[in-house]
Amino acid sequence: MMRIGVVALNTFREAVRDRVLYNLVFFALVMMAASIIAGQISIGIEQNVIVTLGLSAISLIGLLIAVFIGVGLVSKEMEKRTLYALLAKPVRRWEFLLGKFGGLALTLAVNTAAMAVGLLLAIAYIQQPIERAVGTVLIAVYFIWLKLALVVALALLFSCFTTPLLAILFTGGLYITGLYVQELRDLPMQVMSPGMQAFAKWLSYLLPNFENFNIVALAAHGRHVSGALIAQNSLYTAVYCTIVLTGAALVFSRRNLK
Amino acid sequence: MKPLKIIVLLLVLQGGFLSIWKLQHSIDRQQEALKQDRDDVLLVSGKLVKMMSLEFAPLMADFYWTRAVQFYGNKHVRGEANMESLWPLLDIATTLDTHLIVAYRFGAIFLSQSPPGGLGRPDLAIELVQRGIKANPDYWRLYEDLGYVYYFDLKDYKKASEAFLEGSKNPHALIWMKIMAAKIAAEGESYEVSMFLWNDIFTTTTDPQVKKNALAHVQLLRAQEDCRQLDLLAGEYEKHSGRRPKRTAELAQAGLLQVVPVDAFGYAYQFDETGKAVLNPQSPLLEKQKFFERFK
Repeated sequence: MMRIGVVALNTFREAVRDRVLYNLVFFALVMMAASIIAGQISIGIEQNVIVTLGLSAISLIGLLIAVFIGVGLVSKEMEKRTLYALLAKPVRRWEFLLGKFGGLALTLAVNTAAMAVGLLLAIAYIQQPIERAVGTVLIAVYFIWLKLALVVALALLFSCFTTPLLAILFTGGLYITGLYVQELRDLPMQVMSPGMQAFAKWLSYLLPNFENFNIVALAAHGRHVSGALIAQNSLYTAVYCTIVLTGAALVFSRRNLK
Repeated sequence: MKPLKIIVLLLVLQGGFLSIWKLQHSIDRQQEALKQDRDDVLLVSGKLVKMMSLEFAPLMADFYWTRAVQFYGNKHVRGEANMESLWPLLDIATTLDTHLIVAYRFGAIFLSQSPPGGLGRPDLAIELVQRGIKANPDYWRLYEDLGYVYYFDLKDYKKASEAFLEGSKNPHALIWMKIMAAKIAAEGESYEVSMFLWNDIFTTTTDPQVKKNALAHVQLLRAQEDCRQLDLLAGEYEKHSGRRPKRTAELAQAGLLQVVPVDAFGYAYQFDETGKAVLNPQSPLLEKQKFFERFK
């Protein structure tokens, strides 16, 4: 556990040193511009725009970090040959992988939390006192972080057996597919053969359902989000990440690093 | 670098940007001719746009709603009646975010009003509001909007009354919804109901354009009611004096009025050649009356 923590902390430090958190400046500028402009060009959606734009920006920036840094977690270490020095020490491959995952998840948590603070400030700027249920906005931010953790796990898995470019394509592709899982379930099953029906159904449950984490519209309108959904989404992410990271650890442990 | 070179470089840069500025003006003039084409909504399927929006559908809904507002505002400013793109924009905005209440409420006004004030399609306004009610059954104000379209635009008082009654069943609905339902069912169109509804729009709306429109209707309704009352008093006057009054001041002199009534702009009402009370030709309210009558 200690070894995983050390790897995670170093991954976080490395991300900070690589100026990953500079995106916060961009986010702050977007929020400031939106707060001022939204009220001027539309009717009655000032708060909506702030919340939807803020959450969408948090999600998009987070996704870019999760995918692009996620796929480089292993390959960069191999490229720089620092991985060999590390694995020569008493660190198992799966511990290294889990540490890398934890480090990027921590980076994303800090990044997401900082952006959430910016979003809350923007909401406070246009809405005094804050009437809208800010709690739902915070839950939406938490869900975004859960989603990002899942994306990091997938990026790690792909980066264990393929090139960074392909890993980016696979992760991005799987993410987009995961947004349409519900559409897959809504396909007209009755016109399909029984085998195809079963395949489509199983596939829709096998793929990561990223729509589970999308409550931006609810947050924008201050709707209530049940505690059960929060617990279920947390559990879903934990279980899914465990499966994906186990797969990644298996692939990575069998990988020939010579 | 030598100072001369720097000066030349600065001059070239300045000249370059000056020509860019000039060129952009020429391009703008060319583009002006194509403005009508730009009104088109390329993707008219809300479902398709939703699928293409990935996880950003609520944000896209805000963009589409803003575009609808801008489109409506631009047409309003130019006094253009061609608003065909309004429906697809509202349709897409409400498909992308089914809880975007503001799009249903203002959208219904934009759609129902006669051109050039709106698209002149109350049927689409009803479709939009009913879709809003389906997605947001707890929001009772949408029933008010539905009743409003039936009452003012379609003059279907039975359905207007039903809409108010249905909305009044919501535990959060204000008590006047039930009163309105009963009043419309009993009387159809009346001064009190119309006045109340326009007043409610005036006090609750946040959009200056809608507020201005509601205020004009309130002022005109009040003027119409004043004229109706003056006609009644003129009838009284005729009974006693044997002739219709020529000026409202005569009613005051006869003791039928305490003060000479004036419209919202302070102009006294007049009697026309047939003896009917009308607005003062100098009053700006007359222009508004003509404007609304033109598109009835």
